[in-house]
Amino acid sequence: MIFEERQIEKNNFSIRATLLFGLMILGLIAVLLQVFSLQISGYTDYQLAALNNKNYPVPVQSLRGEIFDRNGKALIKNEPTYDLITRPNLIDDINSFLEKIQPVIFLSENEISNYKKLQKEKAFDNKELVLKKDLSAEEIARFNVRSFNFQHAFIAQRYRRISDYPEIFSHVLGYTSRIENDIKSMPEIPQSHWKDTELVYAHGLIQGKTGLEQIYDDHLSGQHGQRVYEMNAKGQFVQSLSFTQPAKGSDLYTSLDIDAQKSAAKFLGNRKGAVVAIDLESGGINVLYSSPTYSINQLSNGMSESNFQTLLNDADKPFFNRALQGRYPPASTIKPAIGMYGLSNNIVNWDFEMKDPGFFTLPETGRVFRGWRKGGHGKVNMHKAFLVSSNTYFFSLAYQADIGELSNHLSSLGFGQKVCLDCFEEDPAFVPTPEWKYSIMNAGWVKGDTVNLGVGQGYLVATPMQLANYAALLASKGMYSEPSLVALGNQKKSLKIWQDKRFENSDWTKMHQALLGVIESDYGTARSIRDLKEFQVAGKSGTAELVSLDSKEAYLEVRNSELLRDHSIIIAFGPMPNPRYAVSVVIENGESGGAVAGPVAIEVLKSLINE
Amino acid sequence: MNKPFQKIYFDPYLFFSLFLLSTLGLFFLFSASNSDISIVSKQFVFIVAGFLIMILVSQPDPDIFRRTSGLFLVFSLLLLGITYLVGPEINGAQRWVRVGAFSFQSSELLKLAVPIFLANFLFNKKLPIQRKEIIISLLVICCCFFFVFRQPDLGTALIIACSGLFVLFLSGLSWTFIGGSFVLFIISSPFIWNILLQPFQRQRIATFFNPESDPFGASWNIIQSKVAIGSGGLLGKGFGEGSQTQLNFLPETETDFIFSVIGEEFGFLGVLLLLSIYLFILLRCFYLALSARDRFCRLVIGGLSLTFAANLIINLCMVVGLLPVVGMPLPFISQGGSSLVSLFLAFGIIVSMGTHKKFLPQ
Repeated sequence: MIFEERQIEKNNFSIRATLLFGLMILGLIAVLLQVFSLQISGYTDYQLAALNNKNYPVPVQSLRGEIFDRNGKALIKNEPTYDLITRPNLIDDINSFLEKIQPVIFLSENEISNYKKLQKEKAFDNKELVLKKDLSAEEIARFNVRSFNFQHAFIAQRYRRISDYPEIFSHVLGYTSRIENDIKSMPEIPQSHWKDTELVYAHGLIQGKTGLEQIYDDHLSGQHGQRVYEMNAKGQFVQSLSFTQPAKGSDLYTSLDIDAQKSAAKFLGNRKGAVVAIDLESGGINVLYSSPTYSINQLSNGMSESNFQTLLNDADKPFFNRALQGRYPPASTIKPAIGMYGLSNNIVNWDFEMKDPGFFTLPETGRVFRGWRKGGHGKVNMHKAFLVSSNTYFFSLAYQADIGELSNHLSSLGFGQKVCLDCFEEDPAFVPTPEWKYSIMNAGWVKGDTVNLGVGQGYLVATPMQLANYAALLASKGMYSEPSLVALGNQKKSLKIWQDKRFENSDWTKMHQALLGVIESDYGTARSIRDLKEFQVAGKSGTAELVSLDSKEAYLEVRNSELLRDHSIIIAFGPMPNPRYAVSVVIENGESGGAVAGPVAIEVLKSLINE
Repeated sequence: MNKPFQKIYFDPYLFFSLFLLSTLGLFFLFSASNSDISIVSKQFVFIVAGFLIMILVSQPDPDIFRRTSGLFLVFSLLLLGITYLVGPEINGAQRWVRVGAFSFQSSELLKLAVPIFLANFLFNKKLPIQRKEIIISLLVICCCFFFVFRQPDLGTALIIACSGLFVLFLSGLSWTFIGGSFVLFIISSPFIWNILLQPFQRQRIATFFNPESDPFGASWNIIQSKVAIGSGGLLGKGFGEGSQTQLNFLPETETDFIFSVIGEEFGFLGVLLLLSIYLFILLRCFYLALSARDRFCRLVIGGLSLTFAANLIINLCMVVGLLPVVGMPLPFISQGGSSLVSLFLAFGIIVSMGTHKKFLPQ
C-alpha cells in the first residue's frame, strides 16, 4: 500500500471508529439517564415498591370489651385458656419431638395428624403452629417442669368469650362468630395477610353476630394492632420489624339485672314465652328473656355443626327471640288503650254505665261476640269493665270507634313499630288498617274487625317488648323514656311524652286505680296473685285466643291439644302508687292470663324492687 | 524491535482501571451472593489468573496473533463442536465444556477468534472492500453465530456477530452495502421472529414491550430489577443492606443482574462511579486503536474493545429495562471464570497491539 492510500485508510478507520465508539458512549449515556429516572425521579415509587415487596404486615387481634349488668357484675368476660405452641422450623425431627412430648401432653390421633399435615408449610414460612388447644391445669404444670426438654415449644395464653349465665342471657347478649378477615377495620392490610393474624382468642377472629355483641360490635371490638414482618422472596418470615399494640375494646354497661333475669327464667321454667321489664326512671331494660334458650358459650367458642343443626331444627325454636320477635294478640291487655281512646274521643266517660249480658251483637249483621263469662257481669262502668275484664263493654266501645283514628291511637302507644333503641332484630309487628287488610286479604274492612280489636283479638299483634313499652307508658302516665339496653354517655335519650288534651290527669289517676284493682281488689281478674308480694301492683292480664270458638264443648276439646291452647299474657307495673318498673310476660299456650303469667311478672318485680 | 527483551509491554491506564473494576467487582459479588465467601474467593483466583494472562499475552509482538488467527478460529470452533457433542445440558442449553476441574464456556473464545480472524483477512485488502471478501466475511460470521445460537445462547451469539460486523465495518464496508442489508433485515424480521427464535426468547421480547402483562412470570426479573435500582436512590441502601438483593427478590444477582445490586446498595453515585470507569476504559481503547501501529492492530483493538462495549451496554440496557432480557454478564464484575479469562485475554491482546510500535520503512 502506498502512503496516500494508507492515509485514506487511516482516516476512514478514524471516522468509523469514532462513529462506533460514539454510539457506545451514547448507549452508556442512555443507561445513565434511565438509571437517573429510576433512582432520582422515580425514587419514591420504587422505594415503596421495594418496601411492599418485603414488608408483610399482619393484624394483631384486639381483646373485646366485656359486658356488665346494672350492678357491675360481668355478663360476658374474656376467660384465659392456654395453648401449646411450637416453632416447627426449629424442630429437627418432628416424629421424635411428638413422641417425647406425648407423655407430658396427651395428644389425640386427630391432633397429631393435623399437626403433621401443617408443620412442613409452617416450618418453611418460619411460622408458629398450635399443637394442642385448651390445656388443663395439670398439663400446664407437667409441661412447665419439663419445659427445658422442649425448647421450641411454649405455652401461650389465649382467650375465650365466656358468660357465667350462658343460657338465660343468650338472646339479649347474643354470640360472636368466627370471621375470615376484618378488612373494614383495617383496610390497609391486604386480605391475604389476615390468615396470619396474631390471635388473642382461641376461636380466631371473631365478630358480634347477634344481640348486644352485634349491636355494639364497634364499641366492643377495639382496634387491632399490627406487626410488620420482613419477608423474603419465598414468603418466609425473616424478622419482626415493628409492632403496634392493639387497643382493647370498651366495656359495655347495660341496664340488665342478673337477679331479675334469673327470676324470669326460673318462674317461666321450661314453658315457651318471654319476659320484658323496664326501669321507668331511665327506660333501661332490666329483663329481656325468651324461652326456650341455648348456650352462647358454645356458640361463641366453636360449636359442632351437628349440635348447631339440632338447635336450628328444634321444634320449639330456641334461636327465636320471642321477646323481640314473637307476634302475639295482646288480648285483654289492650283494653286500657281502648279505654284511653274512648275517653279522649268522648265516646264514653268514667260514669257511663251499660248492661253486660255476656255478649255483644253487631247491629248490622247480627253476629254475636262473646264475653269470657257466661251471663255477663251485670251493669258495668269503665272502672268495673277493667276489673272484671268485660268484653261486652269494649266490644261496644270499639264498635263506636273510627278504625283510622283507633289505628293511629294504637300506633301512638308504640304498637306496629320498633320501640327499643338498641335491640337486635326487633320485629315491629303491626297495627291493622283497612288499607292493610285490603292489600293482604283483598277484602274490605268490616265493623266486626274493629269490634274484635276492642278486646285485642283479630288482626292486631304485638311483641312482648311492645307490651312492656306500653306498660311503661301507662305506668308513667304518658311521660316515659324509650327503652334501651345500654345508656352510652354520648347518647342522650329524650323523654317521650304521650299526650292528648282530652285525656286529663284525673283520667290517668282513675286509670291507675282501675288497673290497681285488677290485681289488688276482690273482683279483679288477676286477684289470684295479690298475696304473692308485699307491695301493690297494677296491671292487666289477657288470654289470647288462638282459635275462635262459639261453644263451650268445642273449647274443652281444644284445651286437650297443647299447641292450640290460649296464650297467657300480663302487663304490670309497681310498686304502686309510685311505680318504678313495668313488666310484660307472655306464656305460649299457658291459658288464663292472670293466674299463669301473673306470678312470673310478680317474681320479676320482686327481684327488681327488693334490690 | 530494537531491544525486545528489555521492555515489558504494559498499559498503566488500562491496568489500573481494570484493577479497580475487578476489585470493586469482588465487593459487589460478596454482597450479591449473600456473603458467599466461596464464590468470592473463586472469583478472586480467576482475577489473579486473568491479570497474569493479560500481562503474558501483551508481551509478544502482535504479528503472532495475525499468524495464528486461522488456527485460533479453528481451535475455538473445535471446542464448540466438542461442547455440542459431549457438553452437559444445563437449563436446557449446552454451553460448557469440562477441562479437568474447570468448566469452560467454549463460545467465549469465539468472541476473540472471530474479530482477529476477520482483521487478518481484511487488513491488506484494497478499499473499498470487494463483494467476494464481504461474502466470505459474512459467511464466517453467520456460521459462528449459528453454532452458538443453536446451543442455545442468543446473547453470546449476538455478541459474536457484533464482533465480526464491527471489524467488517471498521475495515471499510461500503455505505450502500450497509444501507441495503439494513433494509433486508427489516424485511426478514418476521421470518427471524417465527422460525429462528425459541418460544422462551419470543416470550422475553414480548414481555419487554408489555411488562405488566405477566408480572409474576417472565417480566418478574425486569420489574424486580427496576425496583431494586430505583429504590437505591441517590446514595443507595448501603453495602449488604439492599432488601431486593438480600431477600432474593432480585434474580441472578451474582451474574446477569449484578448491576441492579450495585444500583440498589450504592445508589446513583455508585452507578456514576462504575460507569465512569467503564467510560475511561472505552476511551483508552479508542485512543489505542487510533494510535496503533498498523491497520491489523487498529482493526483488532477496535473490534475487541467494541465487542467489550457492546457486551457491557447490552447487559446494562437489559437490567435497567431498555432491552429485553438476554443472558449476558456484566464484564469484570459478574461471577464467571470463562468470561473473566476471555476478557483479560482480549485486553492482553489490546495492550500488546497498542503498545508495540513499529516504525515502518518509508
